[in-house]
Order: sequence, then structure tokens, then C-alpha cells
Amino acid sequence: MQLSQTLYRYRYQYLMLVPGLILAGMFVFYPIFAAVYYAMHDWSGFNADMVFVGLGNFATLFSDPIFWDAFGRSLLFLVGTVPAQLVLSLILAVILNNQLLKLSTTFRTMIFLPVVTPVAVIGIIWTFLLSPFNGPINGLLLNIGLITRPIDFLGSSDTVMPSVIGVYVWKWLGITLIYWLAALQTVPSDVYDAAKLDNCKGGRLIWHVILPIILPFAVAILLISSVAALNVFPLIMSMTNGGPFFGSEVMEIFIYRTAFATEDGSIPRLGYAAAAGVFFGVIMLALTILQSLATRRARRSTQEAGHE
Amino acid sequence: MRKVTRARLGRREFLMGSAAGAAMLSLKGTAGLAQTVQPPINSIPKGATFRWVDSGDQKAVFFKKFFADYAADRGIEVIYDPLPWNEIAKVVPLGVRNGTAHDVFVTPRNVSLADAVAQGWVQPYDEFIPNIEEWKANFPAGAFLPGINEFEGKTYGLPFTSNKRYGTHLLYNKQYVADAGFDPEAKPLTQSEFREAARKITEAGQGRYFGFILGGSQLNRWAQSVRNLARMAGASAGGDSVLDADIDLRTGEYVFDSDAYIAAIELLIAMRDDGSFFPGLMNLNAPQARAYMPQGAAGMILQGPWNIPSWEGQNPDFDFGVSSGPVPDSGPVGKLTISQGGAAPNTISLFSGSENGAIAGDIFHYLGTLEGQTAWANIVGAGDPPIMPEAVAQADMSPRSKQILELFNDQIRVGPNPIVRNGDLAKVIGTFVAPDVNFARTVQGLVAGELTDVPGEMKKLSDNYNASLDAAFAAATAEGAKVDRADLVFTNWNPDVDFAASDY
Repeated sequence: MQLSQTLYRYRYQYLMLVPGLILAGMFVFYPIFAAVYYAMHDWSGFNADMVFVGLGNFATLFSDPIFWDAFGRSLLFLVGTVPAQLVLSLILAVILNNQLLKLSTTFRTMIFLPVVTPVAVIGIIWTFLLSPFNGPINGLLLNIGLITRPIDFLGSSDTVMPSVIGVYVWKWLGITLIYWLAALQTVPSDVYDAAKLDNCKGGRLIWHVILPIILPFAVAILLISSVAALNVFPLIMSMTNGGPFFGSEVMEIFIYRTAFATEDGSIPRLGYAAAAGVFFGVIMLALTILQSLATRRARRSTQEAGHE
Repeated sequence: MRKVTRARLGRREFLMGSAAGAAMLSLKGTAGLAQTVQPPINSIPKGATFRWVDSGDQKAVFFKKFFADYAADRGIEVIYDPLPWNEIAKVVPLGVRNGTAHDVFVTPRNVSLADAVAQGWVQPYDEFIPNIEEWKANFPAGAFLPGINEFEGKTYGLPFTSNKRYGTHLLYNKQYVADAGFDPEAKPLTQSEFREAARKITEAGQGRYFGFILGGSQLNRWAQSVRNLARMAGASAGGDSVLDADIDLRTGEYVFDSDAYIAAIELLIAMRDDGSFFPGLMNLNAPQARAYMPQGAAGMILQGPWNIPSWEGQNPDFDFGVSSGPVPDSGPVGKLTISQGGAAPNTISLFSGSENGAIAGDIFHYLGTLEGQTAWANIVGAGDPPIMPEAVAQADMSPRSKQILELFNDQIRVGPNPIVRNGDLAKVIGTFVAPDVNFARTVQGLVAGELTDVPGEMKKLSDNYNASLDAAFAAATAEGAKVDRADLVFTNWNPDVDFAASDY
């Protein structure tokens, strides 16, 4: 009774939710359920032969070394990008947060520019920059005598992941910078004044005064960046296509290849790819839940700090 | 991507069209002005919208012009969508499932026509071409085959282009190769000469240009290059479908670990070690690699005949030669085997849900006449040669195009097609799942240096493919197909001569 009364009382409000719910249903909820459904079938994706295999796809997945390699590469990508991104952008944020610094807005804009540039464009431009044939980066390294032969950055499995990681960090540095700047805005100016009186400057100021204040934000930024670092499909697709020889095949490329991009006249395995997708989705979900918990906690601790 | 052909003609199409037309006018006794729309064979509903999808490229140059003329003449609208294969793989199945597919489409590369028929994707077009048997008789023998494009006595696929071609013959910068001391037009390069030429070109280039280029990120380039090098060196294998690619149909066994395949991979590795590879080759796709040739950045490429009309049209100053792919250092040059029927990737079909069968029949009919075939050859040239040899003979093609088609005639033979003997084998194709580390990837891995033991990896590959093929046979048998690995054995096959219908 209670529920129907509530529903009735707020019927117009609930009515307003309907368009959003329909859209979300079509483009968010339906695909999720469809993926779980497909994951339990052996299905190529284009014909009517759909065989129910239960958890069979997951069992195959967990014993598939290529899948685990791709999973490992996704983790490597995460570990390679997130700390570098966090530390670099924090340093930049501390510098750019100084209101007295001339041109700080210009610098902020410049660092933020790659963030708003489409990923595919960035990917293609960087393949030219990194090209061993007349590529400017190799040209520079050759000119200053650091190398004697051009390096095939994207064509060798030794250099492909570091190269892609580097481009990713460069591209998304600006967004983390904005997060840090927002966090730094919460540091009250009297803290700086007090530190100044105590002659606490530079590294000591950051380490002992500012960092403890913005630490709760760090947790949220860390998790946001981690989730983002697992969504790298367009960048890797436009730069390396997952190659050479699986060298940069992260989870998303694995899923895509299995679902659509099979070669040699082989039939695609949409069901199997869906299983990998569901597994990947669960991991993402776990990270997202962690993030919301951490953000809530951070908010609470800053509020508590405010009351002290 | 969508292009409505009623749009104005582009400058290039206009120039090509008028050049072809002018050339045709100068040839007396031939089919006359290229692409004159023939009178309709069916009554065409005015104002209809007719949609067509294929893989474009040089084909699009013909179809864009043809459909514009055709649409204007018949008073209909034609929407032509030339799409890359990875798009076709999504657009066609989705369209079929939703009932909105193009009226005429090519099946995605991993869906055989047999599969498409079994799934109800396509309908026969017999009723849309009056006297179809008479019309079919104009095609060369073996163009229409049960199990390939005919099913239960009905015609489903239109094989209007020939598959007598291969995509890894030599195209080279004449100046660079001549400076290196070779003349592949006079005598095809042997594998050792090929390596030597690449090394010398690279040396002469001093970092400005390199001996050999290939689209190394596009995996099928690796598979095809090695396959054809090896087949010319005597590994008698097919290369058209799951049931004959890299299988010696005399024994029914995979030839991945044959000496010829291993030697072909080792040749590429040796060239890599010589430093003859274009830098960054591993990360180039085929179109990028092809584009570096007219720029003078590389001396040699193993690619297909479709480059000829494209370079001649867009880079008229580029002085390039065409020749056979590298032949073995000693011993006879093996023939390349193709399957019967037209070129599978160009075989078009009529969507089962299409109500424009009359229009499709009208166009199919034209493409299967000597006039249509000649008009096709005039524009598409050697890239996708027409299926009728008479059309090739009277078409206006560049000397290079004619030269390469003559080479194909000399080097390519029709092999047996297991499906023709046992139609149930289509079910095997429909269930075959290649190993994750397939042939193409293995070659890429070996040449990139990610894998090292060539004979070991190729043995492993053979074993994995055997397991996959056995599994596909088992799955097909479970579905009621009467199939057996022995269906892949043709003891009477001689790879040096065409396998005729009477040989089955």
C-alpha cells in the first residue's frame, strides 16, 4: 500500500523518469542482460545456430592463455599509466595552483588540449610521430646521437606497450590535473599562511601540509583513473590494432577480435567474446563500487575535518 | 559512407569514364561506348529504391558510374554502398536479421554462400532472368557450380569476376631494381635474387628508401605472401577456403610444416635481418604500404593486380614494373591453385527479403553479357578481371594489366573443390574455428621475432589446425552432415593442369 501511495503521489515525477528509463533500458540495461545471455551460448553472432552451453564459455575463457595474456596487458597498462599520471599531474597541479605564476591559465589550457582532442586523431598523429621512417621523434633521437638506428616503437613488442602507455599518459594528463586542481582549491588559504609563518616551504609544505589534506581525493582520483585506464580500445585500435603479434592486445581488443574480427575464414565467437566482456564488466563494476565507496568516505572525512 | 549515385559525377570518374568511352570508340567492332545502358529485360517499377553493397575499391569506380546512368535511364534510385570487409561483416548480417538488408549484397568473408542459403539470407534469381540457362551458357565452364553458387537446382550467386589472380605478385620501382642489377620482367626473380635485390636497393637508398615493403599489421598479407612463395616452390596447396587453404588436396593434409613453407618464412626473416624491410613495416596496413611505393620510399612489394589501374590513374609518372612473385632458386615453378567458380569475394546475391528482384535480374543479366563484361574490364581492368576471357581479350587495358593477366593464365590452375563433390562439407566450413594463433599470426610473430623456432612453430600450427578441422568435421557430423576427412583427398589431381568437372 505504502509503495502504491508513494507512486501515486509522485506520479508526475515518476512519469518524467520514463523517457530516461526507456533510453537507459535500450542502451544500458538491455545490452547488459543480452551480454550475459549470449555469454551462456556458443554462437557465432550471425546465424541461427545458438547452443546453450551454460558456464562453458567461462570455463574455456579461464583456461585460455591468450585471454590471460590480454588480461595481464590490461593490468600492465593500468599499473603503467595510473601512478605516472597521478604523480606527474600532481606536480603540475601544485605548480599551476600558484596564483602568482604568470601564464598559469595558458599552461593549464595547453595541458588540457589533448584531453579534448578525439582519441583516434591522437592515435594516428602519434603513429606518425613515432614512425621509424621520417618520424620526428626518431629524427630527434638520431640527431642528438642517442640512437644509431631508428627505433620501431610500435612495431616491436619490447617498445609497443611503453609507447602506448606514454601516449595515454600524455593524452589524459590534463583531466587528472583538473581533479588535483579542484582538490587543491579545498586547501584553505590560512593553512598556507600558517605554513609560511613556520617557514615551511617547497617539498616539506607539499608533503607534510597539503598532501594529508587532499589525500581523500587521491583515493577517488586513483580509482577514476584506474577505470579509465581499462577503457583504451580506440587508442590502441588506432595506434597498433593490438599488434605486433598480440604485443598490445589488451582485454577490449581481445573481446573485439573474438567477436568480430576473426581471420582466415574462421567464424566469429560472439558468445565467447560476450563471456570475456561479462568478466571484464564485473571487474569494472568492482572498481566503480570501490570508487563510489571511497568518494563517500573521502567526503565524510573532509566534512569531519571541517568540523574539527 | 552512403553514396547516392544520383549525385553529380566526380571529376576523376568523369575523366575515367570518358577516357574509357573514347578508347572504346576507337576500337572498331567491339561493344561500342562503354556502359551504355541496355534495354531492360524485366519491367522495372518506376521510382523504386534499389540498394547494393560490396567491397568497393576499383569495383566502385565502375559501379558508381554505371548505377548513375542506370538509375537515370530506368527512373529509379540506386543507393550504392562500397564498404570495407570489416563493415560488411556487421552491416549484412544485421540487415538480414532486421529485414533491412541491401537488395544485393556480398556475403561477409566468413559466411559462405552455402551458409547464407541455409540460413535463408538469399533468394534464387532464376525467375528474374528470362531464359536463364541460355544466359548462363555464355559463362566459361565451371562458373556455375552446385554447392558453390547453385543450390537445389536454383541459382543464388552471380560469379561475374574471375578468381584467376593472386595478390602477392611482384610490383617494383623500375629504376631502383634496374640499379640493383635485376630485370624481373625479362626473368622472374628467384627467392635468393629477391633477397639480394632488396638488400642492394636498401643499400643504395641510404635511409631514403628501402628494398621491401608489406602491410605487416594486416595479418592476411603475411599468410598470402608465405603461402604463394611456398606454393611456387612446390607446396601444392589451395588457398581459397577453409577446406583447401594450406591443404595438399592430394593427401588431404596441411602443408604448414613443409620445407617450402618453412623456407618461405626463413626468406622473410633473412630479409628482415639484412635490414631490407621498410622501417615500421609491422605497423603498416596494406593500403599504407601500397601508398609508399609511388612515393619512391620502397623498391618492391608483393601485392595484387588492383594496384595497376590505381597507380596508373593516380600516379601516372610512377615508373613501375610487374612480374611473377619470387620463384624457387632451383627446380620447377609450382602452379598456384584456385577453386572453381568465380571470385568468391565478388560473388553477389539477392537478399531473400528484397522485392526488387526484377531490377537485380536486369543488372545481373547485363553483368553476364559480353557487353557488360567488357565495360567492366575497361574500368576495373586487371584488378578484378571479368570472368569471360573474350571480354579480357577485347577490353581496353594498359600493357601492364594485360601482362599480369597473361602471367596469371600461365601460373594459375583450377584445383578440385571438395564442396562440389560433397555439398555437406559446407557445414564443416560453417563450424570451423581457426586456432587463435592462426597461420597469419604465426608468420607475423616469427617475422617480428616474437616467435623463434620456425619448424617447431609450423609443426605446432599444423597440429592445431588439424585439431580445429577435426572438431569442425565432428560438429558437422553431429548436425547430420555426411562428411569425412577423406572428402578432402583427390588422388587423381595433378596441380599442373586444370581439374575439370569430369575429374570428380
